[in-house]
Amino acid sequence: MTRVVLDQLCKTYSGAHGAAVSQLDLTLDSGTMTALLGPSGCGKTTTMKMIAGLLDPTGGDIRFDDRSILRDAPEARGAVMVFQDHLLFPYLTVAGNVGFGLKMRSVAPDEIAHRVGEMLEKVQLPGLGQRMPGALSGGQQRRVALARALIIKPDVLLLDEPLSNLDAHLRMDMRDLIRSLQAETGITTLVVTHDQEDAVVLADRVALMLDGQLRQVGPPRMFFRRPVDEATARFFGGRNFIPGTCRCGVFDCALGPLQLPQGARTGPGRVTFRPEALRLAASGNGRNTVRATVTEITYLGTQTRLRLMSNGTEVEALVPPTDADGLKHGAQTLIHLPVPALWVID
Amino acid sequence: MYRHLKITLMLLPALAVLGGLFLGGLFLGLMRSFNYMPVIGLTRPSMDAYLAIFSDREFYRSFLLSIHISFTSTLISCVLAVGAALLLRRLHLGRTVITFLFQLNLTVPHLVGAIGILYLFSQSGVFARLAAEMDLISRPAEFPALVFDPYAIGIILQYVWKEVPFIGVIVLANMQTMGHDYEAVARSLGATRWQGFRYVLLPLIWPGLLSASVIVFAFAFGAYEIPALLGAHYPAALPVLAHRKYTDVDLAARPEAMALAIVIAVLSAVMLAIYIRISRRRNGC
Repeated sequence: MTRVVLDQLCKTYSGAHGAAVSQLDLTLDSGTMTALLGPSGCGKTTTMKMIAGLLDPTGGDIRFDDRSILRDAPEARGAVMVFQDHLLFPYLTVAGNVGFGLKMRSVAPDEIAHRVGEMLEKVQLPGLGQRMPGALSGGQQRRVALARALIIKPDVLLLDEPLSNLDAHLRMDMRDLIRSLQAETGITTLVVTHDQEDAVVLADRVALMLDGQLRQVGPPRMFFRRPVDEATARFFGGRNFIPGTCRCGVFDCALGPLQLPQGARTGPGRVTFRPEALRLAASGNGRNTVRATVTEITYLGTQTRLRLMSNGTEVEALVPPTDADGLKHGAQTLIHLPVPALWVID
Repeated sequence: MYRHLKITLMLLPALAVLGGLFLGGLFLGLMRSFNYMPVIGLTRPSMDAYLAIFSDREFYRSFLLSIHISFTSTLISCVLAVGAALLLRRLHLGRTVITFLFQLNLTVPHLVGAIGILYLFSQSGVFARLAAEMDLISRPAEFPALVFDPYAIGIILQYVWKEVPFIGVIVLANMQTMGHDYEAVARSLGATRWQGFRYVLLPLIWPGLLSASVIVFAFAFGAYEIPALLGAHYPAALPVLAHRKYTDVDLAARPEAMALAIVIAVLSAVMLAIYIRISRRRNGC
């Protein structure tokens, strides 16, 4: 198990205006799975390629167990990257693809055949060794790519968008497979994804990158409850940002005085709460309960989205459809903002 | 149905000219190769011409020389073309200009290239004189025989000079289409640079390289003008031998010339069939 440290890592492409990756500090604890999350073009894959040795950083360092690996060739790093497009070698069979890394290490053919068989069992593709990659579905190809990486028992596994372009049920199967294989092998794993749901479900820790910079690192729940700024909160579905001032644990804003949880910052800022944290209240006596007018109702299937106006401030709520039954445009209602759901940002 | 017929009818004049000239010529050649030449009184078809050429040692020497020219020039061209394509795709600055210069001699006719080879590499050529000037040899005539030589070095030089860009352009296009990702995967899986080339890049470009090689081989095998200009008198390449027999003052030698031409055509057709098969496999047909 390997601990990976990215220390002030930078990458600027020649001819580009800004840095693709800027002063990135990130630690991947040994044996854990970390998700590097962010929108397209934010520098996630560039970071991954630098770890794999496929791109040279323009600054900073990468250490595996406190040893800098920047001078090591890609094949000597012990980090295997699984690309988003699978990139199975089209002229090799599935078995040839899976055993490729072993062949490069001059492992005996019998040993390769044995280990390939075992690995295909693990990724639930037994008996497909003699198929050509073109005869496999997208999901199967992804499993072969994963098997090809895992068979060489790398120190670090790098997965680039491992769940993109998969149907919903295949996506869930693949998530389970990646999680179980990671737990079984204990390989330090970095998953690059643009999908916050994949990041949250797969990873022990999430690192959010925006515009080449790391915004926040922590357990998945942290991003929903304690985002560091508006961009982070918005990336995870935050919609409510109300300016005001916090004094002695109470936030004064257009909605009135709101009781805050312990640890919230003081001074001017914006209170934020997730749309699904907001509750429709039956009476107006509770703390953090304010009166609001419904301005828009949208049925989303499993939830109903409400836009509400309170003292000239718009808030958005996601409530169970049954809670919204009977509400109409222009109706008056009470909304309750639970104390633990509130957080103050700049 | 009507549309199909209309297209066929519209194509018919062009097809008739093409078919008449090509197939007609081939048919006449075939007939003459079977000793059917009423002009000189040969009216009974026979295999005599084929028997004559297959029992002649000169045919085998010429055949081996043609194979040597085609194989060696194709092999050297392939190696140099792949090397050049590998270098060209790594270029960032001036790539367009260098790629243009690399392809420039594609437009130069073979004959012009052959004259260039004569001018540079013959024993009275530029390099021979330079070597003499630099006292590497006492006089230009001592310069190694690279042209009109029995090993066909001048011919091979000319084909290599001409075919490296041709194969290189095809291989470079292949490489650019597939990008660097497959090699990156291989490196990530533990392949060295050489292993990445040997086990990943080469198999990926192999179909394109092979089909380009078949074209070059077939061309070098069947071409007349370069062996005629730069080759030794004996042994002569097969097309030169066929031409000599065709222009022999004795018209009775013509069936042998035609038999030689047919042998060359059959071998070229086999190579064409191989090329088509490779192309179809490449396109997944």
